[in-house]
Amino acid sequence: MTNAPPSRKPKTAAKKTPAKSVKKHKPATVLIVGAGFAGLGTAIRLQQAGIKDMVILERAGEVGGTWRDNNYPGAACDIPSNLYSYSFDQNPDWSRSFSGSGEILGYIKAMVKRFGLEKYIRFNQNVSDLAFDEEPGLWHATTDSGEIFSGRAAVMAQGPLSNASFPDISGIEKYQGHKVHSAAWDHDYDFRGKKVGVIGTGASAIQIIPELVKDASKLTVFQRTPAWVVPRPDFDTPDWQKTLFRKVPASQSALRKGLYLAHESMALAVIWNSPMTRLAERLGRWHLKRQVKDRWLRRQLTPDYRIGCKRILVSNDYYPALQQSNCKLITWPISRMSENGILTAEGIEHQFDCIVFATGFDVGHSGTPFPVRGTGGRKLDEDWKRGAQAYKSINVAGYPNLFLTFGPNSGPGHNSALVYMESQIDYIVKGVKTILDKNLKALSVRGGAQDEYNSRIQKRLAKTNWNSGCKSWYLTEDGVNATMYPGFATQYARQMASLELKDYELIPA
Amino acid sequence: MAMIDLDKMLVKVKSTQWALSDIDWDAPGADLITEEQWPKLKEFMTDLMWIEHVGARAFAAMAKKAPTDTLREIYTYFHAEEQRHANVEMALMKRWGMLDGDELPEPNINLRLIIEWLDRHSDEVPVYVLGTVVPMLEIALDGALCKFLLDTVDDPVCHQAFEKINDDESRHLGVGFSVMEMQGHGATYIKTVEMAAQIANPRVILGIASYFPLLNKMRDNVVAMGLSEEKLYACMEKFEKIGGRTKEGRSNPWFQIIKFHSRWMVDRSNKFYHVPVDALVKATSYIPRKLLPAVPSWVRELTYEPTA
Ligand SMILES: Cc1cc2nc3c(=O)[nH]c(=O)nc-3n(C[C@H](O)[C@H](O)[C@H](O)COP(=O)(O)OP(=O)(O)OC[C@H]3O[C@@H](n4cnc5c(N)ncnc54)[C@H](O)[C@@H]3O)c2cc1C
Ligand SMILES: [Fe+2]
Ligand SMILES: [Fe+2]
Repeated sequence: MTNAPPSRKPKTAAKKTPAKSVKKHKPATVLIVGAGFAGLGTAIRLQQAGIKDMVILERAGEVGGTWRDNNYPGAACDIPSNLYSYSFDQNPDWSRSFSGSGEILGYIKAMVKRFGLEKYIRFNQNVSDLAFDEEPGLWHATTDSGEIFSGRAAVMAQGPLSNASFPDISGIEKYQGHKVHSAAWDHDYDFRGKKVGVIGTGASAIQIIPELVKDASKLTVFQRTPAWVVPRPDFDTPDWQKTLFRKVPASQSALRKGLYLAHESMALAVIWNSPMTRLAERLGRWHLKRQVKDRWLRRQLTPDYRIGCKRILVSNDYYPALQQSNCKLITWPISRMSENGILTAEGIEHQFDCIVFATGFDVGHSGTPFPVRGTGGRKLDEDWKRGAQAYKSINVAGYPNLFLTFGPNSGPGHNSALVYMESQIDYIVKGVKTILDKNLKALSVRGGAQDEYNSRIQKRLAKTNWNSGCKSWYLTEDGVNATMYPGFATQYARQMASLELKDYELIPA
Repeated sequence: MAMIDLDKMLVKVKSTQWALSDIDWDAPGADLITEEQWPKLKEFMTDLMWIEHVGARAFAAMAKKAPTDTLREIYTYFHAEEQRHANVEMALMKRWGMLDGDELPEPNINLRLIIEWLDRHSDEVPVYVLGTVVPMLEIALDGALCKFLLDTVDDPVCHQAFEKINDDESRHLGVGFSVMEMQGHGATYIKTVEMAAQIANPRVILGIASYFPLLNKMRDNVVAMGLSEEKLYACMEKFEKIGGRTKEGRSNPWFQIIKFHSRWMVDRSNKFYHVPVDALVKATSYIPRKLLPAVPSWVRELTYEPTA
């Protein structure tokens, strides 16, 4: 039975009723959907390449995407900040090795100011349709406010994890207590002295739990599958380091390079089944054994899949939090929700004042967040019915001048998403420049090139840990991996470094 | 019973979950327990509760080793369901005033040994060994004991609870026998020998050393309560009948092993079996509890409270 409410947009999203008269805006050169890291990074690099005629459509009233929405207690990145930031805008002032959500949002906002991006952004514009008009060679974005924005090229930067999802638990709508989603935190709710349930034990949950356990009178954690957790080398940045980075920026670049290489080497453990994989699993087991003395609890927390098959979590305080006297881990299957709480299969009703859903996001493996229509009326979600496909993760045949960020098979399992993003952004700049320099109506990737690219990718994916049998959000229902890139970030960067015109059809304006 | 569709079974299991709060624990009828019944019933319920709990732990081990995702999920539910049965039985004991405050009733020494064995070794034992022993225990102990209880106790709440429990149990048996058949299916000679060879696995030997006395001990306990030995044996024979119904079932060597064991067990005149095993029962009763390691923490998860 499916009673889950539809996925919710962050509460900052605009809720306007479509206006009667359509307001059409003058076409820009580039249309960008989303003002998160990807959309803003694209704008910066376009601007630096001299392309300044662009519009960024953002459904919320603020920039920041992931880091605007995910500000639950404990929210932080799990890739070191010096790597989880843009190489073209390094920040010497990160306060810790893994910065908190607020600090990352501050970095994004400062970036917007420094590069003067405000003028491009249209807030409270939720894109509900994106369509290519072949005759003039223009993309039209229709928004909820009934306005139409157009551009010669379009960039989809609406985020891979931007629509909160609730679990498919029967009776979820019956629950009368307070409900909070990790990606739409309720900062007005006072957790002190409350009986709180947390559903989920993924990346967000393991950050939230150590914080909530400090406030809640009783915290009950519902786990379906335990994840691999490894120690987190987190520390405050010493002042001398900030000074050094400011005075000798090359030293920060050197650290960044070092971190990059360290993460690249982790690909060996994460992506393929290698001796490094065993080593990483041993690290995970060591961490668990060191922090959890009770054998049964340890058994409950021991993953039963190969490390790397799902996202690896990093935390030093998750296991200790679970062992606090006011915290309890429940591994019984959830059978349903009631007015008062959650019923599990051992026959007990767990009652709560508040339930926290740390249940992640809707990831469309085959769908698209809004209709995207290409040449000849084709629809992207139909073309992607059997799993999303793109050429080099960025272009799709039949959708000229459209660029994807975080497109199919671009996800990193072992390195900063922003490293991959920079490769994509620079590719987009090349694409847009090609359209302008050659004055094209359409820059359209060839179907054959896309097929060839994908058969290679899928062959490589078959040998990875992600396809080794665990169920994860990386895979579609049929087990197709349309999410991850099977290789090193360096390989990805190399593939994105050149735009091969022979793989495209060029239609002059 | 033909082999069942496990995917459909999983759906069915998910859709038939129930909870302690579905039962009105304060409904009239608690006073139908006679004074004469009370002390023996208390001991009986304690055993029953612990058997459910032990069954729960066995399913947890099977979930870890399950050959398919569906079966893993089914066993995960069965693990929880056995825990639910134990919780329900504890709630009945609470209702009948058999609990000492919030104290968990003590398991008898043979159950205590089984708990110890399950905790230390069950996760490492191949799934087909537990997959055969568990249905046997379910049919013999769960089956016979529950039936006996309903014949003896008039409290309607008890009947209501066991109607739900028995529904769960029929699914456990359905899956149990299907899996036994699955494992016997197309077994080559080599595979059969390999499976049977597990009998020499030290973990399995230790398990057997705990399992045999438990059965004899339970027999003694039920007989003491007035259940005829024959009824218990009739249930055990059911195992042989259902398990051996198909060629696949019969070619599972562990079915054969358990079958022969249950034949010895039922045959009171088999001195070679009963003399040493009864001696073991006696011997185990001398084991000082202090020598046993602390009970594993999963044991403390039991509760009679419908809400937490
Ligand atoms: C809790 C959490 C922790 C993470 N930690 C890390 C980490 O440590 N390291 C790492 O590499 N990655 C991490 N990630 C992944 C993270 O999502 C990416 O690194 C990155 O922030 C994505 O940026 P983006 O711009 O692509 O998407 P987003 O940041 O999601 O931005 C998309 C923007 O588009 C807007 N938008 C969406 N739909 C529409 C529409 N229809 N119309 C108009 N606007 C729209 C959204 O409001 C949003 O502002 C984390 C993700 C989460 C959720
Ligand atoms: Fe049971
Ligand atoms: Fe059972």
